[in-house]
Amino acid sequence: MGKITGFKEIARRDSSYAPVGERIRHYREFVIPLPEEQLREQGARCMDCGIPYCHNGCPVNNLIPDWNDLVYDGNWRAALDALHATNNFPEFTGRICPAPCEASCTLNITDNPVTIKNIECAIIDRGWEEGWIEPKISQRRTGKRVAVVGSGPAGLACAQQLARVGHAVTLYERNARLGGLLRYGIPDFKLEKHLIDRRLSQMLAEGVEFRSNVEVGVTISVDEVLSDHDAVVLTGGSEVPRDMETTPGRELDGVHFAMDFLTQQNRRVAEEHIGDNRPILAGGKHVVVIGGGDTGSDCVGTSIRQGAASVTQIEIMPKPPEAENKALTWPNWPMKLRTSSSHLEGAERDWSISTRAFKGDGGRVTSIELIRNQWETGADGRMSMVEVPGTEFEIKADLVLLAMGFLHPRHDGAVDGCGVEKDARGNVLANEEDYRTSREGVFAAGDMRRGQSLVVWAIREGRQAARAVDTYLMGESSLPG
Amino acid sequence: MIHDLKNVNPEARVSVKLVSELGVGTVAAGVAKAHADHVTISGFEGGTGASPITSIQHAGSPWEIGLAETHETLVRNRLRGRIAVQVDGGFRTGRDVVIGALLGADEFGIATAALVSAGCIMMRKCHLNTCPVGVATQDPELRKLFTGQPEHVINFFTFLAEEVRELMASMGFRRFDDMIGRRDHLDTRSVIEHWKARNLDLSRILHSITPGPGVAIRQCEDQDHGLDKALDNMLIEKAAPALESGTPVRIETPVANTNRTVGAMLSGRIAKKYGHAGLPDGTIHVKFKGSAGQSFGAFAAKGVTLELEGGGNDYVGKGLSGGRLIIYPAKAGNFAPERNIVVGNTVLYGGIEGECYFRGVAGERFAVRNSGVNAVVEGVGDHGCEYMTGGVVVVLGQTGRNFAAGMSGGIAYVLDEHGDFEERCNRSMVDLEHFDENGPTSGGDVMADMTRDDARRLRFMIEKHAEYTGSDLARRILDLWDHYLPMFVKVFPTDYRRALEELKAASAHGTLEGATVAAGE
Repeated sequence: MGKITGFKEIARRDSSYAPVGERIRHYREFVIPLPEEQLREQGARCMDCGIPYCHNGCPVNNLIPDWNDLVYDGNWRAALDALHATNNFPEFTGRICPAPCEASCTLNITDNPVTIKNIECAIIDRGWEEGWIEPKISQRRTGKRVAVVGSGPAGLACAQQLARVGHAVTLYERNARLGGLLRYGIPDFKLEKHLIDRRLSQMLAEGVEFRSNVEVGVTISVDEVLSDHDAVVLTGGSEVPRDMETTPGRELDGVHFAMDFLTQQNRRVAEEHIGDNRPILAGGKHVVVIGGGDTGSDCVGTSIRQGAASVTQIEIMPKPPEAENKALTWPNWPMKLRTSSSHLEGAERDWSISTRAFKGDGGRVTSIELIRNQWETGADGRMSMVEVPGTEFEIKADLVLLAMGFLHPRHDGAVDGCGVEKDARGNVLANEEDYRTSREGVFAAGDMRRGQSLVVWAIREGRQAARAVDTYLMGESSLPG
Repeated sequence: MIHDLKNVNPEARVSVKLVSELGVGTVAAGVAKAHADHVTISGFEGGTGASPITSIQHAGSPWEIGLAETHETLVRNRLRGRIAVQVDGGFRTGRDVVIGALLGADEFGIATAALVSAGCIMMRKCHLNTCPVGVATQDPELRKLFTGQPEHVINFFTFLAEEVRELMASMGFRRFDDMIGRRDHLDTRSVIEHWKARNLDLSRILHSITPGPGVAIRQCEDQDHGLDKALDNMLIEKAAPALESGTPVRIETPVANTNRTVGAMLSGRIAKKYGHAGLPDGTIHVKFKGSAGQSFGAFAAKGVTLELEGGGNDYVGKGLSGGRLIIYPAKAGNFAPERNIVVGNTVLYGGIEGECYFRGVAGERFAVRNSGVNAVVEGVGDHGCEYMTGGVVVVLGQTGRNFAAGMSGGIAYVLDEHGDFEERCNRSMVDLEHFDENGPTSGGDVMADMTRDDARRLRFMIEKHAEYTGSDLARRILDLWDHYLPMFVKVFPTDYRRALEELKAASAHGTLEGATVAAGE
């Protein structure tokens, strides 16, 4: 497959970005894809490994060597089929997935991995462009009704899979539009929302019934949903953010959760009402983002687009190495310094910093008091983080965004309404075999079950939960899992 | 073959590798009776990275099946004690080793797991020269990527041995030998609920044999190879001055067909002391009289000339390694040598270097897999020069059918008096051509350039044949050279010619390296 010596002859080439000065003036995507010939050449770098580590590096077990080769051969249609065999929404993962597949690529041991993500994105974009993607309407009806609660990537994947084997699926969403974090969390400049709408049209044609603006457990009672359906899948995501309740000044105006900030901007772009929240805007402000992950990075890019005076992102953990020790990490996802396109747009970053207090004037935050920390081995041999005396410093902050991750799903509403058991972390308890919760006929998948994670993991869980539900309803299932 | 190999190196253990399958026990018993020191039962779970996935997954059977049968058959036939049984095929852990021992193996082959500890990631590209971690590749750039250390392999085997020790301790065995063949210590449980496992009946594999009194259930004695009866013991004794100081010796002795593999042990001694370089040409000259047994002159080394007046048997010159063999019929014979068999089948099998002159006709498969021996013979049976890759073969008479099948290298000159050779030659890989005195010549060593000097080379070889064997036929051809030369056909493998020409062009441009690669393709 591919070109046997391709990896030795062809260097990795990535897609590029539009210049910073240009892209920060709008909220549209700014990735410039590789021309077709170059992309096909990149496909030739794939070695068609005897043991393809990418198969397991990818949470949805994408058939990566297969479609790399098909792209190299210019057989885009077959590549699209191979891609859809394992992934319902490659247009999402092809844009926003951190690509653990590339970390596990054999070429990553000594060289640069195959540009798997770019190739995936090119295949699916081409598929849409050519009109190859059509609804797959089930030829039979099982007469079974399934409710999927939560329309993020897990819920969407689960609903689509179930509809395709003939179940009547109702997809509940408490917001006005479907998509969950894809819609309201990820900024438009990373994932334009018409991509979601396009998929929703397909799903609608496949028979999924959408019920937005309906919050199970609030607008509609849990019992009503349970009695109306043969099975219920909880895919509500992990929505409760990590807070800093004990930090002095947390109550000051101008200290917000990242997701509140990001959601507002996405609504503005979509010309949707931002609700009764007061606007959170970064324009002209000194913005401090606390938390060095992907959500923090999205806050950086959004703040810059809103015209922030300065953006600083701080992280409590030490700065990770620029390059990983591959002998230790490969084929796993390595801890290393990751610089996103947003960071390149003009943000300061700093590590090993703890927040001591938010300071304000007239109820509004004006600065933030920080201190450097370091890890020390205690008497019991355990590492612990200690503040370094004398390293206190203060920076200006008119807007503080808390992006320190999410603890667990919201419990009020559907979770407690169903009365399902939770695990020690507060996630809904269910295993990865049958996805069943403690309550008969109720399943859980995605971040709601596994805790905060990647879109691609959510898609995997949605697909597998669909198979579990299908098996539960029909005794057996033809769905992949 | 076992006897031949044992002769050429009596100190080495001769091992026969068998595929694990039903009936392998019978084959293993035969191997033990043929005096192999060692037999390997190879299971299907192994395989190199170059083997197709279908072969790895669907050819052969698990090593357990073959090993159980082999062990039982050997014990029942009282053969187990004299042969070591090795097993391989996907061994990874100490537990595998212990199960193998309990089923009856003395030794274990572990390759993939050891390679993995040195950095192999099982890319299965061993045959493509593109191993991305530099384990199985000749590409200097890729070899730089190899990060394995001997210590990694040492660690692997240390831990493996430790696991074996722990398992032995838990079963109460003090010595590894005590564990071999103790199937009563194997138990099974249904580990998985799977429809495929439901109907498995392992009782025959786990069947415990009760050996009769005094019957060994592990290797505890050595095979009697009968090497003390070899004619070579006398040859070595008489050739002592040559072996020690290179002083030329000449030995004369009768030979009979009970003398198998004559000359191999002597050559083994030379190789041990002088390597493949051997001794100067003709240092040891042995003149035999009589009818030799199988494998006369097998592996004969440089510096050894074996002259036989009488006749050879099958496998004359097997694996010839630089020596010279001269065979002609007894002078008293009142028949035409060029019309009668002088050596048997499969002569020169796998020869690598040396010269042969046979006054008479050879049997079938003459010079099969020859890779460098130059030979003159007066006729051959079917399948001559099959799979040949090097050397020059001159046939001064008729050939059988299917000549040159699979011949990818070396050349052959065939005297085609009746003009019908083309019909009997397998032309799928070779070209046939005529040549004359006016052909291109290098003016140098006649054996150096296979694209030129054909007439000179042929004449040179026939002259030597006449000189060594006293062949009337050779004499006649030389006397009537102008008459006979046009009747010779040169058999030239197509790819061999292409490679030689590329090499020549490349060396003219000073880019020999690139051409070697091209020639190797």
